[in-house]
Amino acid sequence: MNQSALAAVVAVTLVTVVLGARGMRVARTPADFLVAARAVPPLVNASAISGEYLSAASFLGVAGLVYVDGVGALWYPVGYATGYLVLLLLVAAPLRRFGAYTIPDFAEGRLGSPLLRKVGTLFVLVIGWFYLLPQLKGAGITLQVVMGTPYWVGVVALGVVVTGNIAAGGMKGITVVQAFQFWLKIVAIAVPAVILLALTHPRTQALDRPVGATFPVATTVSVTEPISFTVKHPITITGSGELDGAPIAGRVLLSNGRHTAAAGAKLRFPAGAAAPSAVGLDELRGTSWSMPFARAGNGDQHPLAATYGLILATFLGTVGLPHILVRFYTNRDGRSARRTTAIVLLLVSCFYLFPVVFGVLGRLEAPGLYVTANTDSVVLVLPKIAVAGAGGIALAALVAAGAFAAFLSTSSGLLISVAGALSHDLLDGRVRTFRWCTVVAGVLAVAAGLRVGDFSLNLLVGWAFAIAASTFCPLLVLGIWWRRLSRDGCLAGLIVGGLTSAAAISATMLGAGRTGWPAVLLGLPAIWTVPTSFLVMIVVSLLTPGSIPDDVAGKMLVLHLPEGLRGPAPRTWPMAPPTAVARETGWA
Amino acid sequence: MTLDPVRPGRKVVQAPQAGLAGSRPLPGISDLSADDPYGDVLITGLIRAQLGLTIGFGALTVAVIGSLPIVAELFPGVVHDTIGGLPVPLIVLGGGIYPILVALGWSYVRLAERLERRFAELLSRPT
Repeated sequence: MNQSALAAVVAVTLVTVVLGARGMRVARTPADFLVAARAVPPLVNASAISGEYLSAASFLGVAGLVYVDGVGALWYPVGYATGYLVLLLLVAAPLRRFGAYTIPDFAEGRLGSPLLRKVGTLFVLVIGWFYLLPQLKGAGITLQVVMGTPYWVGVVALGVVVTGNIAAGGMKGITVVQAFQFWLKIVAIAVPAVILLALTHPRTQALDRPVGATFPVATTVSVTEPISFTVKHPITITGSGELDGAPIAGRVLLSNGRHTAAAGAKLRFPAGAAAPSAVGLDELRGTSWSMPFARAGNGDQHPLAATYGLILATFLGTVGLPHILVRFYTNRDGRSARRTTAIVLLLVSCFYLFPVVFGVLGRLEAPGLYVTANTDSVVLVLPKIAVAGAGGIALAALVAAGAFAAFLSTSSGLLISVAGALSHDLLDGRVRTFRWCTVVAGVLAVAAGLRVGDFSLNLLVGWAFAIAASTFCPLLVLGIWWRRLSRDGCLAGLIVGGLTSAAAISATMLGAGRTGWPAVLLGLPAIWTVPTSFLVMIVVSLLTPGSIPDDVAGKMLVLHLPEGLRGPAPRTWPMAPPTAVARETGWA
Repeated sequence: MTLDPVRPGRKVVQAPQAGLAGSRPLPGISDLSADDPYGDVLITGLIRAQLGLTIGFGALTVAVIGSLPIVAELFPGVVHDTIGGLPVPLIVLGGGIYPILVALGWSYVRLAERLERRFAELLSRPT
């Protein structure tokens, strides 16, 4: 129990709600519900994009995965950052110049097909919903650490706060909130990281010892829910509570093999002992911890294929994230969209220097998490373990606040995108519909979020990226740069890419493919679904030239013509601006 | 039309204007209408130039970042090296890669803007 951390979490939530509600006075159209007023300066907009982007997976998950899987896990943050370079090179300026409001808007505007818009909307829902799950999991484990509540409490709490706030009409001033939350997040991770580095004296040579992580000092691991773990080197511990089904008191020899501990047990490991690892965790030990390859499933086979699967998903997935691309509409023009993206690249690059510090120091200073398997919470628990007294408590409060900012900003953005897509693109687009869609989407996400506690945060986010890379990435890239893209080709590629990647991921979630090639091809499917989707789009387009839109030349002109040459007339082509939509739906 | 975005010293190559005099004035903004075949040539040139820039930077990104796993596979010695007690892969993926990313991004922005400025100059020259 940690009152200061709880106070920090509550404070972040209140600031979010209040700042979001304040925007209501200036922003009154339904469009403002979905995107903030236009013409936000690049630095503010870049902060807002980064604030929305840096989610539970970045704030907690990267450190947690480095803790378990080692250096190879760093391909996640590298990919999350490189995604913005790809976005900058391929999409940023043309998408803004086109004037499309969401990805389904772009699909319909570029290829003139309302059907394409509906199919695109379906994938917005799938991607947004997948991306919501890790945010809820993050909230679950954060409240677990901060307040000692069961996992479900945090999931439900975040779900209720975010859903209620959006459905009640809050988050209209969302740009300000997201920008604020980026700066909060970077302070909340950078300050503790620097202090921890200064105060601890990391024994870096212990990072890749064959025995795995060892306890630097005698450490008590408190068991909050029943655990089972595997001992590979016999250790004598002292403890209390129930171990292997029998009560213990005082010294016990843990022999090699599997052991179980009941909730309430306290196990004190001596300094220098190798940390046993929880059953199913299978963390990497020895030099394989410091190898720069990603892992698929529990094995470490086919490291090169797994790494490139991850690279394809993260490098190309950012391009297709619906809640991020909506923000590009708030840039003044194509040129400022480009500058905004470059600033985002800088901001997220700065952020990603810090989570790794927690992963590495956690392995050296806090190996107890290998026993309990709560590895995604390493960022939250490390400050109190490594820094004694009030300083540690203050740092723990700061990271808890930053973590909650991450869940709040990302899940708000996602829920607005999902509910907006449902109500505007599939239903009648009224305010009431939007509110009901928010509630339904929020409830469904919470129900699923309760069941994903065993998947690592980055695995879940990586899946959202894999689906985005297999659907919207080819749609946008070919739509912007290739005039022979046809409606039928686009539709075919979207459906094939979306169904194959979603099927592979569902199979993994249901337990298929734990090791070997199935683990790589189902768990990190982008390596084959992205090329397949591109290929289908290109081949079917070449076979169906009849469904290339008639005015493709005009559309290419709008996509690529620099602003200076456009003349003074405001562009409303190809879509009616959001305010017109607002007037039609009577939501003003 | 040739627009070379990368090498600043290079000149924009144009057909000799004398031969065209009378038959067609220098290009202007009004030529950019999509129905006009001449405007179509202009905008195709711009798109090609921008795509070339994108492909160039994409190739650079693949060469510098995308190739790292293969490099690690081919030269395992580098992977097992340490600098200041830290494994080399940790230094590269944990921090070293980000300045390169940012530099690539910013130089792309500069070159893309320069390319667009040149295109605008080409069109707004007094006829």
